[in-house]
Amino acid sequence: MALDREEILSLCEKAVKVAERHGADEAEAYFCQTSRTAVGIERGQLAKSVSHIDQGLGIRAVYNKAVGFAYTNIVAEKAVEETAGKAVNSAKASQPDKDWKGFPDKRCLINVEETFDGKILELSSEELVNLATRMLDTALEMDKRVFVTDGEVESVYAAKALVNSYDVSNFDQGTFASCGLATLARDVNYVTPVCFEWDAKRTFEINPEHVGREAARLAVSALKAETVPTKPYTVVFAQVAMQLLLSYTLINAVKADYVQREQSALKGKIGERIASENVTVFDDGILKGGLRTWRFDDEGMERRRTAVMEKGVLKSFLYDNYRAKKEGVESTGNAYRGGAAPYMEVPAIEATNFRFAPGNKSADELVSEIDSGILVYFLQGAHSSNPVSGEFSVVAVPSWRIEKGEIKNAVKGAMLSGTVFDVLKNVSALANNERQVGALVAPWIRVENVKVIGR
Amino acid sequence: MKENLTKIIELGLEAGAEYVEIRAQKLFRTMLTMKDGVIEAAKEGLENGAAIRVLANGTWGFASVGSFNKTQLAEAVEKACKMAKATSRKVKVPIKLAETKTFEDKVTSKPRKNPAETPLAEKIQLASSINERVFSYDQRIKSCTVDYLDIMGTNYFINNEGTYIEQDKLYVWSRILATAKEGEIYAFAREEIGSTAGFEVFETETPQIVSERIAKRAVEQLKAKTPKGGIFPVVIGPNVVGVFVHEAFGHLAEADLTLSGSVLMDKIGKKVASDVVTVYDDGTIDGAFGSFKYDDEGVPAQKTLLIENGRVVGLMHSRETAHKFEAAPTGNVRAEDFRYEPIIRMRNTYMAPRDHSFEELLEDIRFGYYLKSFRGGQANLDGTFQVGIQEAYEIVNGEIGAPVRNASISGNTLETLKKVDAVGKDFELWPGRCGKGQIAFICDGGPHIRVREVLMGGAR
Repeated sequence: MALDREEILSLCEKAVKVAERHGADEAEAYFCQTSRTAVGIERGQLAKSVSHIDQGLGIRAVYNKAVGFAYTNIVAEKAVEETAGKAVNSAKASQPDKDWKGFPDKRCLINVEETFDGKILELSSEELVNLATRMLDTALEMDKRVFVTDGEVESVYAAKALVNSYDVSNFDQGTFASCGLATLARDVNYVTPVCFEWDAKRTFEINPEHVGREAARLAVSALKAETVPTKPYTVVFAQVAMQLLLSYTLINAVKADYVQREQSALKGKIGERIASENVTVFDDGILKGGLRTWRFDDEGMERRRTAVMEKGVLKSFLYDNYRAKKEGVESTGNAYRGGAAPYMEVPAIEATNFRFAPGNKSADELVSEIDSGILVYFLQGAHSSNPVSGEFSVVAVPSWRIEKGEIKNAVKGAMLSGTVFDVLKNVSALANNERQVGALVAPWIRVENVKVIGR
Repeated sequence: MKENLTKIIELGLEAGAEYVEIRAQKLFRTMLTMKDGVIEAAKEGLENGAAIRVLANGTWGFASVGSFNKTQLAEAVEKACKMAKATSRKVKVPIKLAETKTFEDKVTSKPRKNPAETPLAEKIQLASSINERVFSYDQRIKSCTVDYLDIMGTNYFINNEGTYIEQDKLYVWSRILATAKEGEIYAFAREEIGSTAGFEVFETETPQIVSERIAKRAVEQLKAKTPKGGIFPVVIGPNVVGVFVHEAFGHLAEADLTLSGSVLMDKIGKKVASDVVTVYDDGTIDGAFGSFKYDDEGVPAQKTLLIENGRVVGLMHSRETAHKFEAAPTGNVRAEDFRYEPIIRMRNTYMAPRDHSFEELLEDIRFGYYLKSFRGGQANLDGTFQVGIQEAYEIVNGEIGAPVRNASISGNTLETLKKVDAVGKDFELWPGRCGKGQIAFICDGGPHIRVREVLMGGAR
């Protein structure tokens, strides 16, 4: 039933034409298709298989500078025509936006690398079961105290297309493979917090044994947790912890809509030093093999590489077409439609592959230079940070004590608090163990002088 | 619809499944986002889709298809059975389901003001009105975002045991975010409105009432201090009690998470809280955001007692976990839509009120905090919780004092529940959305309570 590239583009072109015929000044059709197959682990055993197939079309129509939107997942001509009509009606019912300056023009797209792997499409359910079994068994063989709460191995195919009134007619497709395992360890009187490990790639290069081994090792090392005294520590943020911290603070603060709407503490600070000299960040929409790499963004602009911070100096914000035109600059290709069904969404500004330039120390070297510190893997409550000021107050679990250059026992229930901008100013080193989680591509990051509230 | 779905059920049984269910849905959504008075895009949409779940050799197979196409559904049920059987070769303990009554029913929603018949222009007008009132409250208000969503539709549930339920879905939701700025101080406030009754929810939660609540909260934070870090006595308001009961305790009592190793596993029937703590999860409150008649396994929603006078007496169950615990399913299973698997979710979760007035709760606190409104909360299976607070005040010598911003509390749920020493006689229920890999609409709440010792995170 899946439509091919030509059928998809022709359906999108049809949608744009119908919207124009209904009186739209300009129109845009976005199509996406996903197909996902997974094997799930629950409570220590393979317990389920999952398959998803969904596709749909979202149409934006503009009438007298008012934007309307309608979508459908019934991808037949008649439903698409009705949807185009609805998009125009919704624009007519809406109010004009004086800042609306049209959809993007046709752009030249850059080729991206390592975002599609035919091997992922060919994975059979037996092979997925085999990968999940290898991951699970490796974890269980590590230590009797390990309990696997859940896990998954999945393969995903996704395709998107975008057509608008200005001859933009783009298509791209990609694949994803991932495996992940959540574990905890139980002793006579103690249950550890949930620990997890994962591997996600655009090509079929995942390592289920490594994930199983690491998930089990983390859980066991989280046993024997102790409280720590309240004081400032050197903190090493592993990738997930840093991603949680930045997703609700810095990443929003560099989005042009937050800046234009006075919701960003970085407004007016382009060219200013906002972080330590060790911090250089690019939003790299075309990163080779990046989990968020595509040829074009979700309104058809070409993806690119944008310097956000260089040696601690703020260089640029992230733009979509609307916010860029409002300011008279060019979009950085950061329009994004997320969620389980992106065709239901209108684009919003989002980071692509938000990459911290790695340092040249190994993770071990980074830790070996610390006299008294904490290694944090996960933060609880990061979403309750103040998104405007960047103030946060979160629980660091699981986390581990670092003493005289070595990782020691786990830390019980400590809170970290401060502002994300102080964290950035106090970055003293970055390791070279780069990996991606969500938008963030980063190594372990060492930060001095973080307030830790123990017991 | 029933006839077509019955054929797919039969195909599943022929392919070797011991249990087959289908949840077909027609959904209509209206969504809009207004930022600082400008409509970003008014959105309307239509979706058809079906979720098929089979149990074969004691292993689940789930398939979601964004279509009602018969050929596609037939392929999906066959694929689900084939994949479940492939997975089952490694199964150690086969999954079984608790018995339930079967139902044939049709549930129709009867809104006084039907969102589907309310013109888009009126929904836009509502957002505009909230926006204008937020901005006109104080010139230090710098931004306002109003999101509006309604979902209408029909859910067709069928299984091979003889249950067939057609159930209307109706949700109306709005979220308002406002920021305020003075000098270098930024403040942020949020609020949600949600109902399963109809568009009439905005007759009680009027633009005037809602905008004032949120604008006042944002502006008051500008003059607020940050809290001291450390252990303090606190009085917690219904809005924060709700999120605490939901996040810190509720998730541990979802039987799938209990089995996954939550700290509650060996505490069932035991005392985990002080005598004054009683907690319910109730799916039967008329019009509340977490209410419905049948869950997504065809089990009627009910009022489930979780903690009675400090003792854990119940968990929230699916048919699968009920079988493991030799308990009865509680009607807690939901899926966000046909794209998702049905899992155990909370409904309207709350602490039951008792006898204290607000003044009595405060009176013997020499220094502490009053936590009025939350910003977010999260918990781990080991019982560690964190709740961020957007509106808080100092308590000084039994009286409410200066406002406090960016506070948060954390601790171990079971230790904290034991330190609840007084429970108020008031009661409020607040709508919200809960994420567990997918979104569920819920309510949570309770009365004001006093907790003797809580760890406050703070910048000082």
